[in-house]
Amino acid sequence: MEPVVYLYDGTFTGMLHAVARAVKDGRAVKAIAPAQHYNPTLFDTVITLKSDADQADRLLQYLQKLHPLAANLAVYAFLSEESGVELHLYRFVQLCLRHGAQTLRYESHSAVAYLKGILHAVSREAHRYKGLIRFRILVDDLHYGPFEPRYNIISLCARHFRQRLAPCRWMLHDLRRNTALYWDTIELQTVDVDADFATHVAFHGEAPEAELSENERHYQQLWRGFHDATSNPARHNPQLQRQGMPKRYWKYLTEM
Amino acid sequence: MNTLDKLTILADAAKFDASCASSGSNRKAKPGSLGNAAASGICHSWSADGRCISLLKVLLSNDCRFDCIYCMSRRSNNCARATFSPDEVADLTINFYRRNYIEGLFLSSAVYAGPEQTMSDMVDVCHLLRAKYAFNGYIHLKIIPGAPQELVAKAGLLADRLSVNIELPSSASLKELAPQKSRQGILTPMRQIGEAVKNYAAERKKYRHTPKFCPAGQSTQMIVGASAESDLHILTLSQSLYTKMQLRRVYYSAYMAVNSAPNLPMPTTAPPLLREHRLYQADWLMRFYRFEAEEILPPQAPNLDERLDPKAAWALRHFDLFPLDINRAGYEELLRVPGLGVISAQRIIATRRVAAIREQDLKKMGLVMKRARYFLSINGKKLVTAIPSHQDLLSAMCRLEKPAINRLTPQYRQLSLF
Repeated sequence: MEPVVYLYDGTFTGMLHAVARAVKDGRAVKAIAPAQHYNPTLFDTVITLKSDADQADRLLQYLQKLHPLAANLAVYAFLSEESGVELHLYRFVQLCLRHGAQTLRYESHSAVAYLKGILHAVSREAHRYKGLIRFRILVDDLHYGPFEPRYNIISLCARHFRQRLAPCRWMLHDLRRNTALYWDTIELQTVDVDADFATHVAFHGEAPEAELSENERHYQQLWRGFHDATSNPARHNPQLQRQGMPKRYWKYLTEM
Repeated sequence: MNTLDKLTILADAAKFDASCASSGSNRKAKPGSLGNAAASGICHSWSADGRCISLLKVLLSNDCRFDCIYCMSRRSNNCARATFSPDEVADLTINFYRRNYIEGLFLSSAVYAGPEQTMSDMVDVCHLLRAKYAFNGYIHLKIIPGAPQELVAKAGLLADRLSVNIELPSSASLKELAPQKSRQGILTPMRQIGEAVKNYAAERKKYRHTPKFCPAGQSTQMIVGASAESDLHILTLSQSLYTKMQLRRVYYSAYMAVNSAPNLPMPTTAPPLLREHRLYQADWLMRFYRFEAEEILPPQAPNLDERLDPKAAWALRHFDLFPLDINRAGYEELLRVPGLGVISAQRIIATRRVAAIREQDLKKMGLVMKRARYFLSINGKKLVTAIPSHQDLLSAMCRLEKPAINRLTPQYRQLSLF
């Protein structure tokens, strides 16, 4: 029988459902992909799925019960937005059905190694941004943090800042995907950012001057002064600096 | 003098403190207060010398009464002096923290008014931050040698980490280079903190609400290269600090020749960065790889070989123990293979429980074999066709050192004509 291509709607539920369906069908799978990113080829047998929350939930529950790490592998694979993760997840689930929780130790299997690598890469970027997001305090005392992550990690960062900056109103703005999360000191919500504002920030790497609170520039200057003074010229080592903080992070950093 | 000038002077004077760790404390967020502490520690930036910045590292004052010969802020040096007011430090900390520039405060100070007064002022800053500004982030507080017991006890309840700098590896060099400091004045608070940490932890087992004393533990720092101690002496000292005083970290700071004095290295001497790097590698071996100081360095060769890392040097000295079989060797044995770290060793052990490791799996598992291949075999089969002679193996291991290591050895020096 021809290998099949499963298409889903691009959501997390959709992805899990597609994987569950592929496992259940037991047919040879060529690809599992979000419908919007799929380039049709002539001889593909395509099955377009309508996402089924129930089946997706069952798969997630199964993975969670197997080991919390197994469920995390699925979540982080989705957040990575890499093409082809779904197929690895499908192989991983098949492996889980055969070996149980032991699968997580099977580091020499390509699907396990790949998914663990993705988990590592995504959580590393989230961890880095926990330190590298710079908030600008705007005139209405909103802490505005723009950033451009490679993976879709805004939710992971928000989970960190809702603990840390709980008494402040803040907004994280992922300019790459143009998504924003706003914390009003009580709950977290998704918001739309004004298009002109977003364009200005993306171009200049800084919020418009009129929007910044009156002390903002003062503290930015103090931070730059501190950043320069704390470095030891006798140990000057810019390569090492870039190793810790590669240039792709510099755009929204106040000090660089 | 405005805040920027003060900050520049006092951050510049604090740059010789190597520690910037913010890990080890998981201070939970409290309603109504700002901040928490992440157990993993978070780096917020990297300075031009490549070291990470995670704390606002400043001195409260650099107006020192002491005259330690190696120090830039010593009394007899002519340099700009400044002193922060407690509110200035608190304001900077809070405003930097809210903008996510820093993970917390690292407060140290020169001894500007006797150890008691200085320590008391530093504790006041912490108290101000915790009480008035409701700051719940990380604080690292330096303990001034000779500080009274009750202040140290108070500091431990306010800060996450305390540290007393041991400064120099032996009391003889301390006497020579820092005449106003005494070994006793340094070790007494260190011992007090170690015991308090233990006592509070025991108490917490009985009463859940006992406050945490210095939850991220204590650290210390010593200067390497200003005095003549051997690496074995330094590592033995560190080992006893780890085992007897329960220190979390010992930092080594390559001596920067800032002053000229007859009993110091010449001011043109480059800082011994490579030696510092090798000492850190050896320190890691003691903390994570279950090595003893005497194993790393035999008494007949008490200094580290700067050409290659201490683990490779150990493996070459004990080459009769190798090759180890990757499917049979125990965890501790795997840790001793050059090129395998803690993660790789754990990964090997975990994978072996599911399936035996084959040669083609090594790369998939993310194991780096360029060093380890000389020391491992798979089911009795060696990974290299022929093991080179000792001399060739030594030069192969030296060649495999990272190119970044070369940057630590200065290629040129400024000549001093006068």
